[in-house]
Amino acid sequence: MYWRCWEVISVTLFKLSMRNAKRQAADYLIFFVTVILAAALLYAFNGLIFSEEVEELSGHFDQLTLLIVLSSIVVVCIFGWLVSYATNFMLTRRSRELGLYILIGLENKQVARLFFAENLAVGGAALLLGLLFGNLLFQILRAVVMALFGQAYHFEFSFSFGAAGLTVVYFALIYLHALRKCRKKLCTMRIHDLIYFGRQNEGAVIEKGRGRRWVFSASVLLGIVGTLLLMAGRVLFVILGAGFVIAFLYGFFISFASGVPAFFEKRPERKYRSQNLLVFRTLTAKLGTMGIVMATISLLFTAMLISEGMGVLFSGLMNGRAAEDGAFDLYVGSAAEGGVSEEYLEYIGEHIPVLDSLVYPVYQGDNAQLMDYVSGREDYFGFNYERDTLMGYRDYAALRRIAGYREVELLPGQYLIHCRAYLEDILKDYAPAVTVGEYVLRFGEVYTEHFNQNDWGVGNGRGFLIIVPDEVLEGCTVRHWGYVAQTAEPVAYEAYAALRDIRDRLYRSREKVEGNYDSVGSKAYEESESAAFIAITVFPLYFLALALMMTTVTILTIQQLSEARHYKQQFLLLWKLGMEGREMKKALLKQFALYYLMPAVPPVLIGVPVLRNFANGVEPGVLVGMSSSAAIIGISLAVFFLVYAVYIVIAYLGLKRDVLPEVGGEG
Amino acid sequence: MLNVKNVEKYYGSKNNVTKALDRVSFNVADGEFIAIMGASGSGKTTLLNCISTIDTVSAGEILLDGQNIAELQSGELAKFRRQRLGFVFQDFNLLDTLTIEENIGLALALNHEGAATVKEQVEEVAGKLGIAEILGKFPYQVSGGQKQRAACARAMVAGQSLLLADEPTGALDSRSSKNLLEIMEQMNRAMGATILMVTHDAYSASYAGRVLFLKDGRIFNELFCGERSRSVFYHEILDVLAVLGGDISDVI
Repeated sequence: MYWRCWEVISVTLFKLSMRNAKRQAADYLIFFVTVILAAALLYAFNGLIFSEEVEELSGHFDQLTLLIVLSSIVVVCIFGWLVSYATNFMLTRRSRELGLYILIGLENKQVARLFFAENLAVGGAALLLGLLFGNLLFQILRAVVMALFGQAYHFEFSFSFGAAGLTVVYFALIYLHALRKCRKKLCTMRIHDLIYFGRQNEGAVIEKGRGRRWVFSASVLLGIVGTLLLMAGRVLFVILGAGFVIAFLYGFFISFASGVPAFFEKRPERKYRSQNLLVFRTLTAKLGTMGIVMATISLLFTAMLISEGMGVLFSGLMNGRAAEDGAFDLYVGSAAEGGVSEEYLEYIGEHIPVLDSLVYPVYQGDNAQLMDYVSGREDYFGFNYERDTLMGYRDYAALRRIAGYREVELLPGQYLIHCRAYLEDILKDYAPAVTVGEYVLRFGEVYTEHFNQNDWGVGNGRGFLIIVPDEVLEGCTVRHWGYVAQTAEPVAYEAYAALRDIRDRLYRSREKVEGNYDSVGSKAYEESESAAFIAITVFPLYFLALALMMTTVTILTIQQLSEARHYKQQFLLLWKLGMEGREMKKALLKQFALYYLMPAVPPVLIGVPVLRNFANGVEPGVLVGMSSSAAIIGISLAVFFLVYAVYIVIAYLGLKRDVLPEVGGEG
Repeated sequence: MLNVKNVEKYYGSKNNVTKALDRVSFNVADGEFIAIMGASGSGKTTLLNCISTIDTVSAGEILLDGQNIAELQSGELAKFRRQRLGFVFQDFNLLDTLTIEENIGLALALNHEGAATVKEQVEEVAGKLGIAEILGKFPYQVSGGQKQRAACARAMVAGQSLLLADEPTGALDSRSSKNLLEIMEQMNRAMGATILMVTHDAYSASYAGRVLFLKDGRIFNELFCGERSRSVFYHEILDVLAVLGGDISDVI
């Protein structure tokens, strides 16, 4: 009899749990969708670890696995915080209902089990949908990896049990942690506590005006100092700067929420202007109860913007370096006595199918005329170079042909400049004549294609090269020799490695001086190196950035949407009092825009100088065009605000529909 | 001032129509204090909602100073509500996020009054209603009676000509109720406010100059106070309610 009775109760509780789970998924749709996306994201990145095809692409993928696992751990912690926060938030919102269950005779443990079951049901459903969607996301990621390594992509449906298993483990950790906390809370709470739990909030952290002003001023000061320290770039400064910035964010949000009413008290004319009164009072009421959460969100936004920006930066850096170093299919440069060793040429002749090639000298000029001009105007370093470098026109024309560039002309009595793109602006206006021996040459044109002109190694000049008529070079000193080749197919990694071995062997046999270490490069190797580096740094950074964005915006949105009932009552009253529909929409929009803008402002103020500093720390000339520091900041901000805007628009439309029903009815 | 002519209001769908108001007609003169009484479901609040333009009538017309409120466009309706009507609700309907001063000033801010005017007028009306000392407080920091007085102040601060009160004493204790009713009486007599109050409570209704009794959506009876004392008028109201029958437990 007792057993039957218990069975009935269990079935009823199970039904109740499932009904509540359905309701929860509908009420917190945005949270549900985010959890689905979280599962999809985790599965897709786990898919990379378990993909044999991806593993075969590069030897560097051992590091990719490690980095994805490490970033997954960070991402699991971030999603863990989201689920824990949202579950606790739902518990607070539903505490009255849960208290009622205890009031009608259920035990605390039963209610805790009920809450546990319904959350687990929501999490399980999200996980299942996430795994399905994750498979699609993995295909996109696979296509990106294939494109990165220059491989053809073929759609191939596959389900990785390993990736799914790992995702399930991550999800179990996330949910069990969050639910254990709630279960503990529910089991120890009395009916009264539960019924009045929803009324509790964070409370104003600082009440007194003087304390508030002091905290506000101190936090702004800390923010400025912290940003300057972060910009300084040194490790100790960066750690100190990060600490200062964290202190700034918390101080700012705690004091700001309490400070706005004081601001309006002193300026009543602003308070009653347009919708200010409503907008700021509602905003500060919200911020007053979630200042610490808001600061945490702002902090995570800062981390997100920097992660994303660093991803764009690394991507630009690697591509920029690879493009310059890989200007030719194959390159060998040697400043050693005797020029490019026969050992290289013999190996190439035997193992690499070459279509066109050239061994050529790079000369040393009489002075450092152009180098002095460039150094005075640009961030430039001509490491180990004391004079300008020169090349004969005939060799230059051949090199252009081998690299696949168009033909150019050198008029009698003129010289050309071939430089890296970042020097073009200052060199295209260079007017003085160049003197080589007894020849005086006039300035002709500037060309800026990639030409193996990095700031290190034995290349075609450090950033720039002067092309002169061949007869001018008679009697000039050869600075070093180069060998370039156009190959029938991309140089295999084994062939490149063999050439490097030759270089190392030669170096060991020579006198240990700087110029005796040859340069060896191949387009195929540079590209694959760049792709591998991008994969192991940029992928985890984007992964982290996306997780941070989804988590923070979801928390902001849950908070905003949970106020829908309150806002509805407010706008209903305002409508009764005669506020026009247009004004109500404006007030809601302002309120909404400010709520979402507030936590995004400090990250932009901190993130932009930090990213600029990092971008400027890279050797000159690599980050140009779409990879320049301005473009990196622009792209990072654009992506940040684009993803942010998607969530904001969804939340705004939802809230507008729920909050302003009468406006539609009225007209 | 207010003419309610043959007003009818139906709710529901084709197969299930509820008649909330049935050919209700009455006039309200300038400066009158009228109470509308009736059992639950008699149509009191529906009538008030129709007059306050929160709801629309199914038939008939409502004229305020000769203007048919059903003919007003949405923008005009909003303007009409904020300039002509003042509201006092049972549950106060003050915004939690605003101070008492800001709640009262809200009615003026909606009319785009300057900050100096807002402050001056709010202080003036608060002084009259005895809530000057709580202007800087938030609704949760003051008593129910003070909240309701603040709602009264909001309802008249912008010079609204008609004050509509829906069970204003419903959430108050007897002492606060008495206090509020005295204030409403003062608003009516000293400040010339026209008041239309919906109530269950015979004691509250005895403060009015005239009481309309609604039953099943129709005006069942009408009582004038005239020169009688409030005590006598109160008993007369109770007598009518006894005849009215229905939810006698509702009409204490």
